[in-house]
Amino acid sequence: MKTLFLKDMRYRRARVVLTALGITVLISLILLLGGIMNGMRIQARQYVEFTGADVWISAEGSGGAFIGFSMVVEEYMAFLNSGPGLVPDSASPLVFAQARPTVRGKSTKAIVVGYKLGQLGGPKRAIEGKMFTPSNFEDYRPEDPVPYEVVVDEKMGLEIGEQITLSNEKVRVVGKAKSLMFVLDTPLLFMDVRIAQKLLLGNTPHVNMMIAKTDTNEQPVRVSESLDALETIEARTLNQTLGDIIAYYVDEPMKAVQFLRVMLWLAAGILIGMITYVTMLEKTQEIGVLKAIGGSNGYVMGLLLKQVVLISAVGVVLGLILSYVFAAAAPIFVAINFVESIIVVCISFVVCCGSGYLAARKAIAVDPMIAFRGEI
Amino acid sequence: MAAVIDGTGLTKRFGTGDATVVAVDSVDIRIEESELVMIMGDSGCGKTTLISLLGCILTPDAGELRIDGELIDPMKKDLSVIRHEKIGFVFQLFHLLPYLTALENVMVAMDIASTKTSEAERRATELLTQVGLSARFDHRPAQLSGGEKQRVSFARALANRPKIVFADEPTANLDSRQSDNLMNLIQELRREHQTTIAIVTHHEGLKENADRIIHMKDGRIVTP
Repeated sequence: MKTLFLKDMRYRRARVVLTALGITVLISLILLLGGIMNGMRIQARQYVEFTGADVWISAEGSGGAFIGFSMVVEEYMAFLNSGPGLVPDSASPLVFAQARPTVRGKSTKAIVVGYKLGQLGGPKRAIEGKMFTPSNFEDYRPEDPVPYEVVVDEKMGLEIGEQITLSNEKVRVVGKAKSLMFVLDTPLLFMDVRIAQKLLLGNTPHVNMMIAKTDTNEQPVRVSESLDALETIEARTLNQTLGDIIAYYVDEPMKAVQFLRVMLWLAAGILIGMITYVTMLEKTQEIGVLKAIGGSNGYVMGLLLKQVVLISAVGVVLGLILSYVFAAAAPIFVAINFVESIIVVCISFVVCCGSGYLAARKAIAVDPMIAFRGEI
Repeated sequence: MAAVIDGTGLTKRFGTGDATVVAVDSVDIRIEESELVMIMGDSGCGKTTLISLLGCILTPDAGELRIDGELIDPMKKDLSVIRHEKIGFVFQLFHLLPYLTALENVMVAMDIASTKTSEAERRATELLTQVGLSARFDHRPAQLSGGEKQRVSFARALANRPKIVFADEPTANLDSRQSDNLMNLIQELRREHQTTIAIVTHHEGLKENADRIIHMKDGRIVTP
């Protein structure tokens, strides 16, 4: 009678299926939330790593590049381009600003990256079309006729020659760049730094940050520390910048999501514990009879735990599968880490089994005398 | 004859303080091997509590119980082991597991006793055939009549070859024809299996089937 517990489950299949489905949905949500955070981390890293910069310079007190409000005067460029420990002429000005361009009549989110073509900060060539027309950065005058051109993320679905509106100005799409979506699938619009200053920074001769490469003989940390000692600027290494950006864009805003994940775990545990307990209450008479005819607590517990383990296992495995299905269909980038998902599945399984065990332990305390009363 | 049940000074109280009820009060009882004993008395006189004590479902607050010569001590041996080794139970409301067939309901008692499935199936088939349910092996309790359920219940009680079967009001939910049939079956099973049977009943008409009647009143055994 190894299948006794299965027969009981088949008899109560509606409840069993609902419990397993409940766990499935909760586990897939836990994994999806983790995948969303993981996706945000990947997206937060990919642009920063793509630039190839070793040192990130922002305004003093800004808290680092990408974090607070940072406006750096252009005069630092000359200093950085001949600065100690940096590759000569590697310093590049960068405008990195959130924008709401109107694309095909619809306001959409994007990040404008203004940089010097051929320098750090953006692609050197387009994967389709051409790069924007560069300005003469050093000798630039606002009245210079630089065309409003942009290279867009390939995933934006825009065609070469299309126009988008940015700060009430028409900007022509001239090329497409390999996708480098920023956090929460925010596309990047690459344009000349002077055009970005004009359209987004009120034509001021400032940039949000400067980035540079360090000499191969120099340690980025040391170079960054020496630059950071200067007044009016803050300098960070690549790793520090990545740490800042992930903390600022992912970890801090996602604290509530992390909390929600823990809550979902708790909910999964409570769900199976509660349903196991309610099922046990319904089966009180049966448990009493099994005990009266000689079933030990261990025997009854075995029957109950086999059910709990099977329901939990089916629930978490289906949850794992469903999370990948949801991730593929999600409207944002979701990157479920397989190793992490296996760990989550194992923990969830333990949580579900643990709560089921607690409910079962309560249930087996039934007095077999109950067999002399009432109906099953 | 050897005593299957030998209880002395058995006492069971429920509640505390002023609300204490003495359900079984210093009962001395002896049931011999192969005897068919009927325990009778008014409602609340302690009949069910007494068979619960004798069937090792309850432990007495005072007194000593021997089953088949073995002194029952829950500190030394799990009572559930004694229940499936030496005792069979038949309940008033049958208490068959609704998700199992008649055959499986008999087999479950042997599953508890760790009998091999093939052996359990063989014996369950044999017992159900003996109780006249050879055409009902695969029927679930909901598909059986009251009398048939009680027959399955008796087959289950006999599954582990118990020393004694306790039946609590086994005919209470049966009509008179079904009751008579069941009593005939009990007599037959008793002859066949040499099993001692103790039946708790209100049913005066069943008296004639008993070897001995034990009358209870206010938790004590009395002479009528």
